[in-house]
Amino acid sequence: MKRRDFIKSSGAMLAGAILPVSIVEVVVADDAPKGSENFTFAFISDSHLQQIKGTKFVRNWDMGLKKAVAECNLMNPKPDFILYGGDLGQLGKAAEIDHGAEILSALHSPMRMMLGEHDYYYDLGEHWSKRFGDKYYSFDHKGVHFIVLNSILTDEEWIHKWKTPEERMSTMAGLDDPNGSPFMVGASQRAWLKNDLSNIAKDTAIVVFSHSPLQKIYKGWNFWTDDAELIQEMLQPFDKVNVIYGHVHQIQYNQIGNISFNSVMSTAWPWPYPSTYKQAKQYLPKMTIEMNRADPFFERDATGWQFIDIHSGRVDLNYQLPNNKNRTIAFNEKSRKPEDTKYKLGDKMPPQKHY
Amino acid sequence: MRRWKETILLMASTLFVHAQPLGLPPVPIPADNPQTNSKIKLGDTLFHDARFSADGKVSCSTCHAKEKAFTDHLPVSKGFSDMQGTRMGTRSAPTVINAAYYTSLFWDGRVPSLEEQSKFPPINPVEGGLHSWDHLVDMLKKDPNYVKAFNEVFKVEKEAISIEHFAKAVASFERTVISGDSKFDRYMYGGEKDALNDAEKRGLKVYLEQGRCVSCHTISQTHAIFTDNQFHNIGVGFKALKGKSEAVASEYIERLKAHEKSVAKDKGEIKNLAADELVLSEKRFSELGRLAISHETDDMAAFKTVTLRNIDKTAPYMHDGSLKTLEDVVTWYNLGGKLKENDSTTAFLDGGIRPLDLSKEQEKDLVVFLKALTSPQFANVKDVK
Amino acid sequence: MKTHMIHIILGIVFVFTSTLISDEFTNNDLKVWKTQYESVVKEGRKVFTDTTLGTNTVTCNECHPNASNTHPETYPKFQKQLGKVVTIAEMINWCIANPLEGKRMAVDDARMTAIISYITEERKGVKLSPGKH
Repeated sequence: MKRRDFIKSSGAMLAGAILPVSIVEVVVADDAPKGSENFTFAFISDSHLQQIKGTKFVRNWDMGLKKAVAECNLMNPKPDFILYGGDLGQLGKAAEIDHGAEILSALHSPMRMMLGEHDYYYDLGEHWSKRFGDKYYSFDHKGVHFIVLNSILTDEEWIHKWKTPEERMSTMAGLDDPNGSPFMVGASQRAWLKNDLSNIAKDTAIVVFSHSPLQKIYKGWNFWTDDAELIQEMLQPFDKVNVIYGHVHQIQYNQIGNISFNSVMSTAWPWPYPSTYKQAKQYLPKMTIEMNRADPFFERDATGWQFIDIHSGRVDLNYQLPNNKNRTIAFNEKSRKPEDTKYKLGDKMPPQKHY
Repeated sequence: MRRWKETILLMASTLFVHAQPLGLPPVPIPADNPQTNSKIKLGDTLFHDARFSADGKVSCSTCHAKEKAFTDHLPVSKGFSDMQGTRMGTRSAPTVINAAYYTSLFWDGRVPSLEEQSKFPPINPVEGGLHSWDHLVDMLKKDPNYVKAFNEVFKVEKEAISIEHFAKAVASFERTVISGDSKFDRYMYGGEKDALNDAEKRGLKVYLEQGRCVSCHTISQTHAIFTDNQFHNIGVGFKALKGKSEAVASEYIERLKAHEKSVAKDKGEIKNLAADELVLSEKRFSELGRLAISHETDDMAAFKTVTLRNIDKTAPYMHDGSLKTLEDVVTWYNLGGKLKENDSTTAFLDGGIRPLDLSKEQEKDLVVFLKALTSPQFANVKDVK
Repeated sequence: MKTHMIHIILGIVFVFTSTLISDEFTNNDLKVWKTQYESVVKEGRKVFTDTTLGTNTVTCNECHPNASNTHPETYPKFQKQLGKVVTIAEMINWCIANPLEGKRMAVDDARMTAIISYITEERKGVKLSPGKH
């Protein structure tokens, strides 16, 4: 499969950019869901802008978001829209969220925003909502139904037991903090989701954006959604469902029935795979070919952003990985699950040259 | 008696070919181009032969002159001259010294070997300016001395001489242009505790720690080649593309497609030859750096890490020769990719570049240390243009 | 008979005293030392999550939850960021100086020992593989 250039090389009409030949064949052969088109959008996530004092922010995370924005702007043709996947700030402070909004304002395409726990637990998303609007919503674009969830909620009791918002936020901010609480979508949002889905035809392609994985991968690091099974059940009747999630800061992908799961990268820093923590059990999807470890000297190593091609209701994620070989996880129509276009399961990722 | 002489000569030539300077690993030699004395000598001659240019005055050594540490001390190199004037390139000539350790050649790594590199400048319109390799090979065939030499080295008849033979000979010569044995090498690998003075030792500490130099300009436990053979955007040339990166990148991709077609017609389907012509003829394309070759967003304005050996003798610095002195270079890195505090830095900056907070003394010590990377055979090179 | 008895008594005395001066620790010793070790591990977790360890409020556990990806079992090894073979203490110092933009500490600083104790405790059971990448 020809490596996909981020820049259009000639007057190709399909999806606004050059498509690998095999996907073109699939598009022609497969019956695209009625009224849906093929298109591309971008996804930037998990920037964790961290205020040190006043207007001084952690330079490393700032550079990560700035780089993703600059690189995303190089795309030609432009993506249809850009999804921001949550955790714009690190401790949910107004200064952090405003700083992030300022950097994102340099993007040349329309933006859609999603909440992460780091944006939420200081003031329960109040400032974030003021700047960006609804905490969960849905929209339609070129025949695909998009749902943006707020999937980092938790137990009401836990939320209200804290003396100060700082305490609550900093506990949730520690990925490995034992005093945290598992993420969930929650009953009221599930009810909203049920209603939203009731108006959608079964053969309409659906993309669900979520910060938490809508799966149960590793509870210790909140790679977890407590009501994952209930959400998956609601999505089961539909032919083509894609869940794209943030939070994990690493490449993961999975297929459960008709639902494809794909994670996105963080612009700020990578996290190790839960399998590297030897003292606990975890359930990383077996089909995921893991990334290599990062070289911490290169602050952007194992960070990145992605542009996502949607074709016939399926998603291919093109990960833009600085200091690394880019990777593409594409939906394989034959095996009917997401697969790396270059590496096979059981392959060891070739060692990175610079490590 | 004759056999004895032959044996000694053979031993001496083996020693000559395999001599290992202190501080360097063995030179990588490709299996299809082994070193022999006669090949090296032929390569040396070709390297200095100015006939292979449109005006008969430009050879490899024009921009890579031994007495100038195998560079030309110019910010950007000059090519052949004719009634339209002297051709100017867009990039600084890298030194040939220790280029044998690079895994790709040119500032943007557009060719994978010394052999491939040697073929491009003679036919580039702003360098040698020859129309094609056929032209060059014709000159070889018409020169009886070359015919004899190519026959001796490659066992090839006149009609079969090709640009590949030219390339192999030149590369073979370049693989002998290596140098170690600097004061740093003697200190680090030769056990001479006093080879570096106190300021140089302090500079080495800065290099390994707060200066963060060692991660890209690599030093290892038993040798140092001072390059990670990767491409990094350290912010040089940002001003030329500021606010225009998207437009220039898109324009370049369009132009490249068209130019590849015309180059394929004129010169053949050679990988990155079209890019070679575009980046050396138009400055804004040159500033795209590695992106012009890989088309990856992360490679925007990224250039190859160069060796630091003999760096004191190969000014000016960076792909566009824009930094004149080692002091400027150290300032650039200390401020995290700029020359003045109030300048802005590019959003495409490599993740390894950041402000270093070095003191004035640390900056001075670092410069002094860099000067200790000069090998004895280049100690007398003067900064002459 | 008397000599025999004396030998037996001496033998018993010898065994008794030699029990005290041999390599066995008392149960109490083991308990005390374990508690002391655990307190240092606990201290190490505190330092590991301390926003004042560096100068930019970044903490170790931001990139290394539960000390994952620190690989204490692979040290000493060649560390590219330092250009030579190092122990984990030197690499911890590199992390403090670089991502945390802080000041390196002495390798026998109490906080360094605490960090290493915490990291190693979280990695217990993993086979030693010095030099591995």
